[in-house]
Amino acid sequence: MKVTLFATCLVDLFQSSAGKATVELLERLGCEVDFPESQVCCGQPAFNSGYVKEAKVAMKSMIDTFLNAEYVVSPSGSCITMFHEYPHVFQGDPVWEPKAKKLAEKSYELTQFIVDVLKIEDVGARFEGKVTYHTSCHMTRLLGVKKAPMILLSNVKGLEFTELPGKEQCCGFGGTFAVKMAQISEQMVDEKVQHVEETGAEYLIGADAACLMNIGGRIERLGKPIKVLHIAEVLNSR
Amino acid sequence: MTGTIHNRETFLSQIASSLGRSRLSSGVTDPEWKHRPQDQVLQDATPDELVDILKTQCLKIHTSLVITDAKKLPETLHEVVANYGGGPIVTWKDERFSKWGLEPLMKKEWPSQKLEVYEWDHTKGAENIRQAEKANVGITISEMTLAESGTVVLFSDKDKGRTVSFLPATYIALVPKSTIVPRITQAARKLRELHHSGKQVASCVNFITGPSNSADIELNLVVGVHGPVKATYIVIDDL
Amino acid sequence: MAMKIGTDHFKERVEHGINDSFMRGAVAGAQNSMGVRRQTATEELGNWEEWRSHGEEIRQHVLANLDYYLEQLSENVAKRGGHVFFAQTAEQANDYIKGVVTKKNAKKVVKAKSMVTEEISLNKTLEEAGCSVVETDLGEYILQVDDHDPPSHIVVPALHKNKEQIRDVFTKKLGYQKTEKPEELAWHAREMLRQEYLTADIGITGCNFAVAETGSFSLVTNEGNADLVTSLPKTQITVMGMERLVPTFEEMEVLVSLLTRSAVGQKLTSYITVLTGPREEHDVDGPEEFHLVIVDNGRSKILGGEFQSVLQCIRCAACINVCPVYRHVGGHSYGSIYSGPIGAVLSPLLGGYDEYKELPYASTLCGACTDVCPVKIPLHQLLHKHRQVIVEQEGKAPISEKLVMKAYGLGAASPMLYKLGTKIAPAAMNPFTVGDRISKGPGPLKAWTEIREFPAPNKERFRDWFKNREKGGKES
Repeated sequence: MKVTLFATCLVDLFQSSAGKATVELLERLGCEVDFPESQVCCGQPAFNSGYVKEAKVAMKSMIDTFLNAEYVVSPSGSCITMFHEYPHVFQGDPVWEPKAKKLAEKSYELTQFIVDVLKIEDVGARFEGKVTYHTSCHMTRLLGVKKAPMILLSNVKGLEFTELPGKEQCCGFGGTFAVKMAQISEQMVDEKVQHVEETGAEYLIGADAACLMNIGGRIERLGKPIKVLHIAEVLNSR
Repeated sequence: MTGTIHNRETFLSQIASSLGRSRLSSGVTDPEWKHRPQDQVLQDATPDELVDILKTQCLKIHTSLVITDAKKLPETLHEVVANYGGGPIVTWKDERFSKWGLEPLMKKEWPSQKLEVYEWDHTKGAENIRQAEKANVGITISEMTLAESGTVVLFSDKDKGRTVSFLPATYIALVPKSTIVPRITQAARKLRELHHSGKQVASCVNFITGPSNSADIELNLVVGVHGPVKATYIVIDDL
Repeated sequence: MAMKIGTDHFKERVEHGINDSFMRGAVAGAQNSMGVRRQTATEELGNWEEWRSHGEEIRQHVLANLDYYLEQLSENVAKRGGHVFFAQTAEQANDYIKGVVTKKNAKKVVKAKSMVTEEISLNKTLEEAGCSVVETDLGEYILQVDDHDPPSHIVVPALHKNKEQIRDVFTKKLGYQKTEKPEELAWHAREMLRQEYLTADIGITGCNFAVAETGSFSLVTNEGNADLVTSLPKTQITVMGMERLVPTFEEMEVLVSLLTRSAVGQKLTSYITVLTGPREEHDVDGPEEFHLVIVDNGRSKILGGEFQSVLQCIRCAACINVCPVYRHVGGHSYGSIYSGPIGAVLSPLLGGYDEYKELPYASTLCGACTDVCPVKIPLHQLLHKHRQVIVEQEGKAPISEKLVMKAYGLGAASPMLYKLGTKIAPAAMNPFTVGDRISKGPGPLKAWTEIREFPAPNKERFRDWFKNREKGGKES
């Protein structure tokens, strides 16, 4: 199966290890992965701040980039949620709305793609350690992907899983919210870190680079002995 | 007596203009809803099952439920009243009390035991409120009873004062089993049917679900705030 | 009290909220317990999504035909002997109510909790007219006794106060001599308020849902205070936001069911009172005279626009009870009697962007609010819509942000520029980088790194790795 990877800007720039793991994992599961060089950002930072005109520029560029892809897969629930927003953003636009719809229909978050499209529930991974999992808001609520990461993690050998208390609560990232409302964001991420600590986990796993950057950055600042991993890295370990 | 309406046209024209159309004064028919989840709740429950559901729900709403039949009703009512510490008692003026054989209890037995009983009497005006305010027990009859939520429904009129169920310290509702329906859906429909049949809806229809309570202080539940502190439903098997 | 509360700037209010450890403990505890109760009450129905869809279609139908139903409502209220006043502004509503109070020579008003009367500052108007106003909802009463402390939650107004604080207020203001036990405090309030009900000249209530077909309206409480307010005084005035109505009893019951389950996790609350007109001939209790005041106060400006769905709101506060931002800052931070997500959407619409332009940004757009709304208001999308309006129409966005976004637009438009920018990022960030992290970032990163570490850009971007890998076979 041919898969076109949408790496996302955060992975491209800051978490290339998650991107590498995604490629290796998909290949191991029998996919042929390509990465169009012209991909940029999904437009979310500008869009969520209210700069829809500016965001549309990025969106159009992305629509064109992935025009001929069969499946678009990304290790980020939030960015794929943004792709799914495109048809609403271009509503009424005779050229771009249909194109946006096509992109939304073929775009999947990584775990969603593995479980729903590849129909694989056990990727044959082994990972020794006590872990907990952060359910990102956009991926669970807006994209509606709740079960896939849980199914895949439950089949990882050696992995000891504890559920995160208050897992449905936002970590306080929210794009520019993290800097615009920094004082509130701090309280939110602090409670999240406290919940992670309560589980006694050695690893915090997530499926969204942005949330992980937020929680991980706070964990590091507080000097907590908890490592942060993208779910692709866990599923890719053997 | 007809009331008055002020400032309506300017107000409604503004609404119509916001909605981008001309004023709508007629022509809206009963909408056909796409969803009707309320009809499915307990739709197949038998009368006995409804009693069970009511009973379970009463545990959640701090309400005692006693099941009795027509024969034992006076005895049961007397026990519940005694449990609540006796009189003074205030009741509606309702012929169903005598129909159910409660007249000897209310008119003779209680007074002879020095239990003060006051029957609502609209000719006495504000005296009714004074009596209800000092009463220990208020007794009314449920016109419709909602199993799902544990709710009794009361219709006010000149003989059925609203305050009988609010002002006394404790409250007893007599619940004929035949009045029990699945949920508020059936009650709403009946109210609507009454209206369509030309009967005037009571000026006060009360849906009472257990004693009054509040969680306004640190979300601690306090039972008994402005209304009764305790409540009992006496279900009368009339089927 | 108007919609606006306090005079502090948004940042100061938030600061104050964050430092109020009791309030935060209370709010977190309340969110946890209310969240579970709401979830249990909605899940036990088994088809909650269908209930929500029904709630939504009812509210949308009413809004689309609002003038029709309001006309029908007013006709039917009048038929039953009630007086209806349509108030386009807060002033009109207050003037009318003041007129009734004056005509009745009323000295005391008892009130059941109502957000719309807070919104129009009715209490202040009445007090200025020489009439004492007594709030009878326990939470509202506590706030009133405490020198009109503003409410911080639309369902549990005194959520921010602990029992010791309440005891102290009662001791100081009411000569209370017992302990801080909630039962004792509540009993004291009961005794004080009983006398107020019995001696009040006028009862004032809000309205949960009016019923157009019969001219009725419903009040939903647990305490039973609304019943006493509407049973004992001779005159009753009910104030409703113009959108708070339904066609018939059948839709009323659906919305009441959605409200009680969403607000407090109850199947129904202890008292749901459906009132139609004044008392009937020969009735002893109930008001002799009934006035219904229907308030616009900015709502018709929302109608027909892109924010119309906010008028579907039934004031259950489910969105407030799940909001992670409200959780940490509390209700007063919003500077409006309408707090939480619904407040952040509604307050700028009713009170203007000048006053409330920060509120739409006090959200991570996490969508928790939208998820729980029983009438499916897309709250997080409306918050986003506000941001768009602020940027595009109001021109109220900070200039620095505009520049950043302009640059973003350019960079994102051009894959070449994007690639160049990300390629030079490690070098650009080098002066700030220690090891693999940035602890003191420049510019917009400063706010981030005051709280968290920021990762240094990877020396080898993902795209470089991928390219090299393709060139050199599968091994990297």
